[in-house]
Amino acid sequence: MRRLYIVMYDISHPKRLRKVFKIMRGFGDRIQLSVFRAELTPKERIQMMMKINPVIHHNEDQVLMIPIGPAGGEIEKEIEALGRPYEPCPHGAVVV
Amino acid sequence: MNEAESSFPVILSLPDFIPARMLNEFAYCPRLCYLEWAQQEWDDNEWTMDGNFQHRRVDRPSGDLPDADEMEEQAPEAVHARSVMLSAEGCGFIAKMDLIEAEAGAVLPVEYKRGSVPDNPERSWEPERVQLCAQAMILRENGYVCPTGVLYYAQSRQRVEIAITDALAARTLEIARELRCVMQSGETPRPLQDSPKCPGCSLAGICLPDEILHEAAHPNAEAEEDAIRRLYPARDDAAPLYVQDQGAYVGKSNEELVVKLKGTKVADIRFIDLSHVCLYGNVQISTQAIQELLKRSIPLLYFSFGGWFNGICGGMPHKNVELRRRQYRAEYGKESLEIARVLVQNKIQNSRILLRRNSAEGNEDAIEDLRRAEQQAGEAANMESLLGFEGNAARIYFQHFSSMLKPKESDGGLSGFDFTTRNRRPPRDPVNAMLSFAYSLLTKEFAIVLLRVGFDPFMGFYHQPRYGRPALALDMMEPFRPLIADSVVISVINNGVIQSKDFVRSAGAFALKPDARKAFIMTYERRMDSLITHPIFNYRISYRRVLEVQARLLARYLLGELPTPPEFCTR
Repeated sequence: MRRLYIVMYDISHPKRLRKVFKIMRGFGDRIQLSVFRAELTPKERIQMMMKINPVIHHNEDQVLMIPIGPAGGEIEKEIEALGRPYEPCPHGAVVV
Repeated sequence: MNEAESSFPVILSLPDFIPARMLNEFAYCPRLCYLEWAQQEWDDNEWTMDGNFQHRRVDRPSGDLPDADEMEEQAPEAVHARSVMLSAEGCGFIAKMDLIEAEAGAVLPVEYKRGSVPDNPERSWEPERVQLCAQAMILRENGYVCPTGVLYYAQSRQRVEIAITDALAARTLEIARELRCVMQSGETPRPLQDSPKCPGCSLAGICLPDEILHEAAHPNAEAEEDAIRRLYPARDDAAPLYVQDQGAYVGKSNEELVVKLKGTKVADIRFIDLSHVCLYGNVQISTQAIQELLKRSIPLLYFSFGGWFNGICGGMPHKNVELRRRQYRAEYGKESLEIARVLVQNKIQNSRILLRRNSAEGNEDAIEDLRRAEQQAGEAANMESLLGFEGNAARIYFQHFSSMLKPKESDGGLSGFDFTTRNRRPPRDPVNAMLSFAYSLLTKEFAIVLLRVGFDPFMGFYHQPRYGRPALALDMMEPFRPLIADSVVISVINNGVIQSKDFVRSAGAFALKPDARKAFIMTYERRMDSLITHPIFNYRISYRRVLEVQARLLARYLLGELPTPPEFCTR
């Protein structure tokens, strides 16, 4: 039921940037500076928006959420990377 | 009504005031109202979340609403009061009003809705009009002049004026009357039939409308394909975390749980990806981490190093008192034996099918014996004879259990996994060690599910309550022992995931080594997450979700909605 999103942001103040980064860590994996890969249900997407919305400056900052298809779908296999490889972290049970 | 029933009332008293929001819910679906109010069920979905998001401004109280007799003097200044709580004894309603605008001696309640204006002649839905009318009636009884109200649709940013007519007020009172009637009856209203309202309802996975209607009409009969809508996800997005490395430390860092070993981070898991946390033996966890888990309703489970399930930390119990009362009452009623018979019969049948599928040949007699035991269990006259039939079937099944094991020749063949009878506390051979461990995993799974559904997991029907034993979890897992636990044990041996060298032996007892246990848990988790076709509802669903559906159906049986306890037999 989750969808795969690429979330990227442009935050013009370092303090707010830090806050947004911390929030985003709770929803996805950072794949580049200010770019996250997030698998989210519709509910989690709204939870994320509710956390970020009060933190950002609505005239100076921007957060983009780009849905690219269902989580675990085919689209991710088509992502190409030049240079460092693109390696999404697998989900599932963790045993330590 | 028998004696136990009359001295053990199950109906709770109705509060003095009906919230206007509940009138809305009742007009939308009486069952939804009952689940939310009487049984205190709640589950957010994208729509309710988005509703909160759209509501964020009006939920903050601000502005003052002057008293009714000061209204004249206030005018012509406009008044905006947000999040105002008012009640009225005459109509018996209470409401928290999103926004009240006042001008020229009259007040105007404004109710925020998340969507856009509906495309119908009234440009609004009846439940919303009824809710607004209840607000207007409260205002009027408090002395305000209130000829109209407004529904504000956040998405299309449009206001729709609703005249508070006598007809609307009469309709509102009629719905309130029906609502009181249903609440006082103590009977859960039936689900809506094939309604388009259900897929968008946040409680669909709790209400199980299609499943309940099917089971009430044709108990345990297989449904036609696509006849039953699966209105909840087929599998969970969140998965558990197991920490078994001794000396590990679990802490919280922002939105993640972090596991450290000797100061080095070994894992971090986002809270949104976490279903529950299992700690084995000497593992520490910080208060901050526990608080966050409690806040998010993520259960925290403690096991001994050897895998004995010690307890669960999960905050407040479920608020569904009605269900717990029925559960306790059922112990003295006929339900107890009926439930036990179904569980034992299903267990024997599932064992028989596992044996038939996995062993090569020569078990025909045993399979026939199991079939007979299955039938006897279904007709058992009392608990004692049922225990006898189950014990007999278990003996036959475990006698033939090793015929399903085909370890790799390189591992010394069967000799490493010599197994004749089931023994435990402590297990005296590798197969028994793995069976015990798998059963403890399954016990915790059901303990979590039963708590979530609102049961008391320590009060069972088949297993008698004993100190510290989650008897209802042990009851419920009976049919799933062969399907989940036993089949995991068979598959780790037959696929060579676990070999005879993976055990430590001390004082005649066997236990899995840490790395092997990790591999075992991963196989178990894959089994729980694998999709199967539900034998009754005929839709695809993961085993983990099946457990929850079974528990919810059992609750519905105890609440009198279903004629028989739910079955689960693999085909």
